[in-house]
Amino acid sequence: MPITVKALNPGFVAEISGIRLGDDLGDDVFNEIITAMDTYAIGVFPGQHLNDDEQLRFSARLGPLETTRRLLRPGAQLRLDKHIADISNLDVENQIVPEGGRALMNAIGNRLWHTDSSFKPTPAKYSLLSCHSIPAWGGDTQFADMRAAYDALEDRLKAKIEGLVADHSINYSRSTNGFSDFMPEEIQPAVPQTVVRVHPGSKRKTLYLASHAERIHGISLPEGRILLYDLMDHATQPQFTHTHHWQVGDLVIWDDRCTMHRARDYDVTTPRDMRRTTVSDVAPTIEQAKVA
Amino acid sequence: MALTIKALNPGFVAKVTGVSLGEPFGEEVLAEIVSAIDNYAVCIFPDQPLTDERQLSFSARLGPLETTRRVNRADFKHRLDTRVTDVSNLDENNCLVARDSDRRMIAMSNRLWHTDSSFKKTPAKYSLLSARAIPSEGGETQFADLRAAYNALTEKKKQEIDDLIVMHWLTHLRSKTGFDHFTEAERAVEPPMPQVLVRTLPGLGRKTLYLAAHADHVIGMPVPEGRMLLMDLMEHATQPEFVHTHTWRVNDLVIWDDRCTMHRVREFGITEVRDMHRTTVSDVGPTIDQARVA
Repeated sequence: MPITVKALNPGFVAEISGIRLGDDLGDDVFNEIITAMDTYAIGVFPGQHLNDDEQLRFSARLGPLETTRRLLRPGAQLRLDKHIADISNLDVENQIVPEGGRALMNAIGNRLWHTDSSFKPTPAKYSLLSCHSIPAWGGDTQFADMRAAYDALEDRLKAKIEGLVADHSINYSRSTNGFSDFMPEEIQPAVPQTVVRVHPGSKRKTLYLASHAERIHGISLPEGRILLYDLMDHATQPQFTHTHHWQVGDLVIWDDRCTMHRARDYDVTTPRDMRRTTVSDVAPTIEQAKVA
Repeated sequence: MALTIKALNPGFVAKVTGVSLGEPFGEEVLAEIVSAIDNYAVCIFPDQPLTDERQLSFSARLGPLETTRRVNRADFKHRLDTRVTDVSNLDENNCLVARDSDRRMIAMSNRLWHTDSSFKKTPAKYSLLSARAIPSEGGETQFADLRAAYNALTEKKKQEIDDLIVMHWLTHLRSKTGFDHFTEAERAVEPPMPQVLVRTLPGLGRKTLYLAAHADHVIGMPVPEGRMLLMDLMEHATQPEFVHTHTWRVNDLVIWDDRCTMHRVREFGITEVRDMHRTTVSDVGPTIDQARVA
C-alpha cells in the first residue's frame, strides 16, 4: 500500500500522499487512487508541482480528455494546450487581464455552484485542477457532497425527484449573473441530464445539479426553477460543503458525477494560475440510467 | 405596559400578547407595538381573529396603505379589498387555483427571499399578514434578520458596500422563475428602482442590509460583478443563524419590518387551502432620500 489516504472530511474529502502523479504509476497504485476517489469524491494531492505534460499524461489514464470551451470562440488564442481549461486571470502573454473585462466577467460564472460540463451531452467524470500560483487573498474552492445531500433529503422529496430530468445550459447560467457576451458559435443548446443518478463506483445515489440547470421536464418552468433552487440550497448547506485553501503545487481531483464546486472571490490584481484537465464520462446521464 | 413581549429569537422575533388588534386601543399601546417592532423586527400576535375591515383599520394607524398589484391584472377578479394583498391559493370564487394557473405561477416567486415592495420607489415599511386558513403541512414563512447579517460582515466588506446603490426590478425577479405571462399593465408600471444597499433604521439608529431577490445590479459595477456581490450577500444573510421559521396557526397576525428583514414562504401542497391576507404599510420615502436626510 504505497499511498496514504487521510480523511479531511469523512466520506467526502481525502488528502492523498506517498506518490508523485507525474511518475509512471503501476496499475495497483492507479487502482488505489480510483478506489479512494470512489470512497471520497475529492482527492487532495499536495506538493505535486506537475508540469502540463505530466498533468495531461496522468489525466489521460482516467479517460478521454475534454478540450477547452475557449475553442468555440472564433479567433480564440490559447495560453495552454487545448486539453487544459485555463482557469487563470492571465492572457496569452501571461499578463494579468484587465479588471471588469470580458475574461473576468465570464470567469465570474465559476463562482456559481456547478459541476463541470453538465451542459455537454456527455458531461465530465473527473476534473483535475493544478495550482501554479495563488492570489494575494481569496480564491478558495468550495465543494459540495451531492451523495450526502441526497441521503439527507426527506423521503417525500426523494420520491418527488426520482426520474426527473433537468435541462442544463452554460448560456443560461451565465445569463443568471448577467453575462451574455457570447458569439453565435458559443451558444449551445441545453442538454438533458438526470436529477438523481447512481454513482457507479460506490453504488450510492447522488443528486446531479448545477447552476446550469434551467428547467425540469414535465413541470412548469416556475415550479421547476423553484424546485432546483430549493435543491441547490439544500445541497450547499455547510454540513455538505468543504473549503479547500490552495497551496502552490496542489493537485485536486474531484468526481464531477457526485459533487458541485465553486471558486470564491479573490484579488484579481494578482495572478491566480490554475490549470484544469477534464475527463469525460462514459455517456450522457440519461443513457447511463437506462443501462443501470 | 399593556403588552407582554416574549423573545422567540433574541433581538429578532417576539411573541406579543395582551392586546386585541381588532378592537380600539389607545396611542400608548400603538407606541408599544411600534417599539416592539423596532426592537425585534418580526412580531407574532397569536389568536387575533381579524376581519379585513379591522385589519385595514389597525394597519392604517401604522401609515399609508399600499394597493395590491393585482389591480394591473384585469383578468383577475378581486376576492378582497384592493388594499389587501391576496396571498392565497384561491380564486375569486374561493376555489383552489390549478397547479399551473397564472395565479399560482405568480405566487411562486414568494418562495424566493425578498422584502415587500423593494421594487417600488417608496418601498414597504411594515407588512401585516393574517392567517385565515392554513394547510396541514408546509407553508411556513421564514424570516432573515438583515441587521444581524450586516453586523456579522467583515469590516472590509462593510466598507466595500456601505455606499452602494442597487437597482431593484420586478422583471429581474420574474426572470428567476421564468414566468412571463404578464399583462401590458403589469409590464408597464415598474421600471428598475434605486435603493441603498445599507440603510440606517430610524427607530434605534441601527444599520441593516437592504436586499431582495429583486436586486438586479449594482450601480457603478459591471453587471456580473455586482450580481455576484448581491448573490454572496443574499447567501450570507440567509444562513441559518440569521433565519427564523414561523409555523402558522390560524388567526396569527405577524407584523414584520420590511426595512430590515427578508422573508419567503416554504412549499405547501396544492390540494389544501392556504388563505393569508396581507396589508402593507408604505415607508416615508425612497431609501435614497432617507439616506440623504440621515
